[in-house]
Amino acid sequence: MTTENKNQYMQDDQYEIDTLTNDKLIKNHSYDGIRELDNELPPWWKWLFILTIVFAAVYLLRLWVFRADDLIQAKEFQKEMAAAGVVAANRNAGTASFELVLLEDAGSRANGKQTWEKICAVCHLADGGGLVGPNMTDNYWIHGNKLKDLWAVVENGVLEKGMISYKGQLSEKQRLEVISYILLDLHGSTPATPKEPQGELYE
Amino acid sequence: MELQKFTYDNRLSSLFLKATIFWGIVGMLVGLTIATELIWPTMTNGIQWLSFGRLRPLHTNAVIFAFVGNGMFTAIYYSTPRLLKTPMYSELLGKIHFWGWQLIIVAAAITLPLGITVSKEYAELEWPIDIVLAIVWVVFGINLIMTTVKRRVKHIYVAIWFYIATFVTVAVLHIVNSINLPVSFTKSYPVYAGIQDALVQWWYGHNAVAFFLTTPYLGLMYYFIPKAANRPIYSYKLSIIHFWALIFIYIWAGPHHLLYSALPDWAQALGVVFSIMLIAPSWGGMMNGLLTLRGAWDRVREDPVLKMFVVGVTAYGMATFEGPMLSLKSVNAISHFTDWTIAHVHIGALGWNGMLTFGMIYWLLPRLYNTKLFSIKLANAHFWLATTGMLFFAIPLYFAGFTQSLMWKEFTEEGFLKYPNFIETVTQILPMYWIRVLGGTLYISGVILLIYNAVKTIRQGSLIPEEQDEAPALELRKPNPDKGHRLLEGKPVLFTLLSLVVILIGGLVELIPMFMIKSNVPTIASVQPYTPLELEGRDIYIREGCYTCHSQMIRPFRSEVERYGDYSKAGETVYDRPFQFGSKRTGPDLAREGVKTSRNYKPDSWHYNHFMSPQKMVAESIMPPYPWIIDNVLNTSNTAGKIRAMMKLGVPYPEGFDTKALDHLQKQANQIAQGLRDGGIDVEDQKEVIALIAYIQRLGTDIHRESNKSIFSEN
Repeated sequence: MTTENKNQYMQDDQYEIDTLTNDKLIKNHSYDGIRELDNELPPWWKWLFILTIVFAAVYLLRLWVFRADDLIQAKEFQKEMAAAGVVAANRNAGTASFELVLLEDAGSRANGKQTWEKICAVCHLADGGGLVGPNMTDNYWIHGNKLKDLWAVVENGVLEKGMISYKGQLSEKQRLEVISYILLDLHGSTPATPKEPQGELYE
Repeated sequence: MELQKFTYDNRLSSLFLKATIFWGIVGMLVGLTIATELIWPTMTNGIQWLSFGRLRPLHTNAVIFAFVGNGMFTAIYYSTPRLLKTPMYSELLGKIHFWGWQLIIVAAAITLPLGITVSKEYAELEWPIDIVLAIVWVVFGINLIMTTVKRRVKHIYVAIWFYIATFVTVAVLHIVNSINLPVSFTKSYPVYAGIQDALVQWWYGHNAVAFFLTTPYLGLMYYFIPKAANRPIYSYKLSIIHFWALIFIYIWAGPHHLLYSALPDWAQALGVVFSIMLIAPSWGGMMNGLLTLRGAWDRVREDPVLKMFVVGVTAYGMATFEGPMLSLKSVNAISHFTDWTIAHVHIGALGWNGMLTFGMIYWLLPRLYNTKLFSIKLANAHFWLATTGMLFFAIPLYFAGFTQSLMWKEFTEEGFLKYPNFIETVTQILPMYWIRVLGGTLYISGVILLIYNAVKTIRQGSLIPEEQDEAPALELRKPNPDKGHRLLEGKPVLFTLLSLVVILIGGLVELIPMFMIKSNVPTIASVQPYTPLELEGRDIYIREGCYTCHSQMIRPFRSEVERYGDYSKAGETVYDRPFQFGSKRTGPDLAREGVKTSRNYKPDSWHYNHFMSPQKMVAESIMPPYPWIIDNVLNTSNTAGKIRAMMKLGVPYPEGFDTKALDHLQKQANQIAQGLRDGGIDVEDQKEVIALIAYIQRLGTDIHRESNKSIFSEN
């Protein structure tokens, strides 16, 4: 029997024709009136399925057999951090002439204000009145009132009191800007709800 | 051949249908409430059982188990008898199933706002409810399988295949994921810990989506689309292939919820590749749904039922393409922990489950109540409200997710985080949260139209309690002329067992090595059990649902290590029962919150003030205040029992430590409270907030501990 004849035979025996689409309805497949067509799987669907299986096989082979670096989480991380290390090393390269002096210009103080509001305000409040951290507007200082004293606090933190080190978060310039902002603008201003004085009085 | 007369019971289907509508609107209103809380955090003004963390699990549980659950049972109790030409096996089992299921939902609606929770997503219910749920589910299963045994139609139709797979798999998932050791009637600890608990949970969680939200609704689709369109199913062959491929592959995909976590690479890879292989099987279902409408497209334009089915199935196609894409690690690195996930699941829930349910309800109402639908116009209006509501919900959240993720990852030229303060990335996307509330409101307005339409339809008609039908008895001819899959369709019990085997494979291959092979969870010597106070604090963290907004899983990316500290290791989680990785970062990650040198570190007094009023510490914060934690006295009546339970589970506390636990707790509480008092805060040792602060300050610190000496040794 040729294939054609065989199909002919099947059609007569097993199928009816759906008049709207001319597709073959399978005989005896009727469930509460629901019929089923004998359509083949669409080729693109089959290929899609096969393609995803190939993808899966290649992916697993690359990880399990060839140990590809980009599929191993730890190695991926090392690579990213190594690249970041280069950035960090260059971080202060442009500021070779860095000096620890107050920045009095308006631009620097505006930058300092921005940093203050983003980072420091979480504990010292935006107006510097203090809440968890001390009040920065009065004349009482726990760790000294000189530029170098504040620099040391920002650089090293005061861990036992909850002040963290900002060495890894702010560049030297940013740290200097924010300290300038504290000493030149915040200090001496009048906050809404000042925290009681802490530390020693510096006149 | 002699025809046998029998009846179909419509009473139970109509009960399930009403329950679907009722719980649907409840679940969605809870969703709208918590969406509003995100833009108005002080809305509920310190009422603890209305806080986001308590209501979010109620929202997910109500929509999944109450709305979609009752929806699937409506479909199953209506279609199964008609497809098999027999009444359901037992009316009594059916009634037990219905009332048992509603009882579970009511229990969930009471316990979750009270903070009685296991904190594993979509499996939050505590052990007594879990046991009732398992029993009711088995009652349903017996009723289903016995109906297939008593059938008068030789072969079971594809809808029934999906119902069977649903029953079998949900039973396995629920039981395995819920094995807990009870401490009291309202508290238990999982027998799994940390990363292992996480793998079990997401094997469950992912397949709750697969076998609770997907397979039963594919069954629903296979019955109601051809019935409503009066067209034959596009391809029987496609049904076979996509059914088996779907249930076999789905079960493996759970680890894609833990990409870039401390889960070993091999397990993550299985999650990735099986998710990708799911595209075609899922789309097979979509095509069999949409292509069945060939020859009926002219009616789709007019008939709200068909319109809803088309949008529902299309949403299914979109979500099942998006899902695998989100499982690629490079995409997941961006999408995970953001609102992208929320958008994704709502395409599924609002589109696929919602639209199919509504379409089914509009089709069933006139048939159950022997009348016409009260208003086709209103149904059409519902369709448009639902469709636009869905878009207004999802599109802003895609945008929000993408935006926030990029902000988290952005560095300045100098190599610092561009947005070091988490709150900046929140305020940026708040407008999107407003639009989401609008989208949700539109969607719910549509459901209100449905309720009105349903009430009117039911009033103008009357329920047909039973329908008569007749068919010859099932005659099993020998020899059986069937071959291949057709043979299997004639043997429903064998079919059930075979689908059980198929769905067990993936789970076993992933879970067994994770528990048996030690290298999958490398131990860290300095990691030690929680102190009694920290453990109590942790249980408060769980009670309040902190995990719904805060993750505890720092992924190995530069941007996260910079922001949060060293990435999370599997060995750090070994005493976490249950794990608290979370799946969404509405607030920052807390995995290393207690590490004093980390960027996130805050002193005790900060936390105290922050719990009292987050807005006082971070003006734009969207975290709700927790005044009750400040006021409540810590309940220590179970502390010793909790320590004993942990010891039973293998946590290495020194022998007899349970009897000393309270002393230890009081000593540590006094230390913390004294520190706060020294800083000018008026607080007593016994308050809950002290325990919570103790837990938070412990987070992530163990790997920084210098000595491996037990923190419980007395010298």
